[in-house]
Amino acid sequence: MRGLGWSLKGLGRHRLRSALSVAGIAISAAMLLDMVMLSGGIEKSFAELLLARGYHIRLTPKGTLPFDTEATLSGAGRLIAAIRRDSSVEAAGAVLGTSLYSRRNDSLVTLFGYGIQPEAQALYTLESGHDLGPADTTGVLLSLPAAHLLGAGLGDSVTFMGRLDPQVVTAAVGRKLVVRGIVRWVYDYRGQPSVGTVLPAMQSLAGQRIGDHVSLLMVKVREDTAAALVAARLRTAFPQLEVNSVADLVRHFKQRLVYFRQLSYILASMSLVVTVLLIGTLLTITVNERLGEIATLRAIGISRATVVREILLEGAVLTLLGSSLGIVLGLLTARYLDSILTSFPGLPAAFSFFVPRGDSLTTAALVLLLTGVLAALYPAWLAARAPIAATLRTEAT
Amino acid sequence: MSRPVLLVRDLSKQYPMNHEAVHALRGVSLTVQPGEYVAIAGPSGSGKSTLLQLIGGIDTPSGGTVEILGTPLQQLSDRELTRLRLTRLGFIFQRFHLLPVLTAQENVELPMAEARVPRQQRRQRALDLLRYVGLADRAGHLATQLSGGEMQRVAIARALANRPALLLADEPTGELDAATGQEILDLFRRLNQDGTTLLVVTHDERLGAQAGRIIHMLDGRIQSDTSDIDSAATPRHHPATPR
Amino acid sequence: MITRARKLGGLLLLLVTAGARCLWAQVPAIAIERQLARQFDLSVGDTVSLGTQVDSLNLLVIVGAIYEPRPDPAEIAKRERHLRMHLPDLASLLGAADRVDRISIGLRPGISADSAAAILDRGAYGYRAFSSEAIASESSQTFLVVSRFHRAIAVITVVASAVFLLCIMLLKVEERRLDAAVMRFVGVRRRTIFGALLLEASLIAVLGSALGTVLAYLAGAATNAYYRRFFDTILTFSIITPGIVAFGVVLSLVLGALAGAFAAWRLVRTRPLVLWGRG
Repeated sequence: MRGLGWSLKGLGRHRLRSALSVAGIAISAAMLLDMVMLSGGIEKSFAELLLARGYHIRLTPKGTLPFDTEATLSGAGRLIAAIRRDSSVEAAGAVLGTSLYSRRNDSLVTLFGYGIQPEAQALYTLESGHDLGPADTTGVLLSLPAAHLLGAGLGDSVTFMGRLDPQVVTAAVGRKLVVRGIVRWVYDYRGQPSVGTVLPAMQSLAGQRIGDHVSLLMVKVREDTAAALVAARLRTAFPQLEVNSVADLVRHFKQRLVYFRQLSYILASMSLVVTVLLIGTLLTITVNERLGEIATLRAIGISRATVVREILLEGAVLTLLGSSLGIVLGLLTARYLDSILTSFPGLPAAFSFFVPRGDSLTTAALVLLLTGVLAALYPAWLAARAPIAATLRTEAT
Repeated sequence: MSRPVLLVRDLSKQYPMNHEAVHALRGVSLTVQPGEYVAIAGPSGSGKSTLLQLIGGIDTPSGGTVEILGTPLQQLSDRELTRLRLTRLGFIFQRFHLLPVLTAQENVELPMAEARVPRQQRRQRALDLLRYVGLADRAGHLATQLSGGEMQRVAIARALANRPALLLADEPTGELDAATGQEILDLFRRLNQDGTTLLVVTHDERLGAQAGRIIHMLDGRIQSDTSDIDSAATPRHHPATPR
Repeated sequence: MITRARKLGGLLLLLVTAGARCLWAQVPAIAIERQLARQFDLSVGDTVSLGTQVDSLNLLVIVGAIYEPRPDPAEIAKRERHLRMHLPDLASLLGAADRVDRISIGLRPGISADSAAAILDRGAYGYRAFSSEAIASESSQTFLVVSRFHRAIAVITVVASAVFLLCIMLLKVEERRLDAAVMRFVGVRRRTIFGALLLEASLIAVLGSALGTVLAYLAGAATNAYYRRFFDTILTFSIITPGIVAFGVVLSLVLGALAGAFAAWRLVRTRPLVLWGRG
């Protein structure tokens, strides 16, 4: 090191000042990291959610998104058969979403019901017990909140009702089902009491059997790279349906959460501005304090380049120290901020706004480092252009 | 006669001040031969320090020329001037100007590090130089932990780091008490006896008496230039001087 | 899905026979959102076809009114378009006669909404009764989350600003250490120096607060202008109330004064010779 790190060693001369600067940079770095995670986290988390079981395409009634409305598709069986004829399709399944009711003691409880095709489903993972068979019309799967709400466990029988009629104070349909398994529904919000039966059973409960109505169809393609092409083919084949690949759904979702992305850009920019101001001000004042030293170094033959390098190095080291601390701080604050945002009503529990990824950490660190070095450019320029003789004269008075 | 170390011709310097020009130097000419010990004396404002700064290339003249070992400074770029200061000149300041965050040894190593001297070599030379100035036992101390005299000796060692052809000193005893100042003067005499060419700006009469040649300045001009013919003889090399 | 029909001119209306006029009177009227009208270049009097399936747009309706939707922050991001029609017309279109999603009840003055809802709930089967306040509270959960998020960001920003402020104050005050040393040498009291620095820090805080308030108003105006255009809505996104201004000014004054006081205290408690660099 040609300058022997004299500038770096100066950081230790004013410990409180250096510590405060590092703390300030750390907070800015934490904010920047959080905003980078937020801007990329939304789409990554949602895409992971959608691809959790490997289904690439969703088909819904025209103009709707999955479970956005109560609109349904008719002729699900016919549609599934047509879709499966495409050689790129590995699997296709239908889902019906509806409200269901049951009794706990004397109270009527409301549940969310999924009508599924267990052999082609992307909605749940089994936690205990066992899955439904494709023709198991007497079995039911419960989420843990549903099990608590109903006071039911594996093997218990529960009566479910659909289509309550307030005028006659009775349900049009009721069915007793046996709890086969406890599952985690991928798209459920925290505490959602959901139950699942095979599709025909749920259609009966919801009065959607005639017409073979479902809420959506899901398609898994053989090759991930073929998803967009298959989606295009399905759009042509079924113009009366809304066909969305995972990329399309992510785009829609991003559109709905555009505010958070834009907020993340604004706050990230502010963090960088604060970092620039902090490092720039600190180093400018430090350089002004050390002009005498710098003039001496120039007088004894230390080149401008060495002086500039030392100042830039000081800026880089401050930023590096602050960033390291900031990454830890950022991960902690991200958890806190995520806990706030994931309490949005109706948001899937598995969804996360702040997703720590290697590339976001690296991006944030590199951007900060570059910012720190750029912020040091002005003070470095000040140091390099200080007139030697005039400065030495000023220092002597 | 060998090529002069320093050749100054008709050097002048003006500073603008309140719409007037202050003439700090007016047509100064002088020559310094290898091995000379030259003192520049005069009252405050006579232009001594300005002359030293122009010779050292850390200020630019309004007129005239300066040659160091035959190289005209006016023809050099800033980078070349810096290089010249690093390799051909040594600077000693009145207020020492050591870097407080570095140790005595590191302060001496600094010019060698800039000149890309290998680490082991520069560390050894730094220790040798500190031994020469009598501070080998203080090598590991920070500059702020040294006394005034010790700091000035470290500054002298630093100035000698890259074996300069000419040592420039601006009031080297100005901040020191009489006893400490005498130590510095003794060191200067030893340096000169060992062959170092010295050009020293001073108010100190003792240094004036010690130098082989005294140049008196007044109002930016050389009033008188005495030279001791015996002192201008071929420099003697002493094995104690780290070369 | 709707299809577009050509608008009837005034002359055409005059030529319509009485029988034709009777026929028009039977066409259901709808009211559409301003954004929907703009998107499909519709105006009052235009006819459109409605249906629940893409291949069965069988119901002909006439645009009877264009309205500005109530700005609902929960809806703007969805970019959905709405229209209003008479309940029997919609029920007929959906094939769900006498079915509704909710029934709104107006109470006589003096009747408590919560108690009325409780009474209705006792006999309820297949529905639940809520007071409007309860619904508002439930549906505003989204905004409570957003508010909490904003508050968290604000806290982080204030902490960062405080650290930044303290650092800058320390730097600026330390720049004056030689001046402070000389003042102490000539006999100026610590209290005087402390007071001068504190006053300076407070003045800077006042100026900074004023500038910050102006910047906040400008940023708020820019935010509203941008997002209103982006979402095509009249919703107000940023509101700066006198309370918010007061809070911001007081906070920055307090932080600025505290930072200045700390920096000044560090300076005046240091011995003059140390400040001078000789201690």
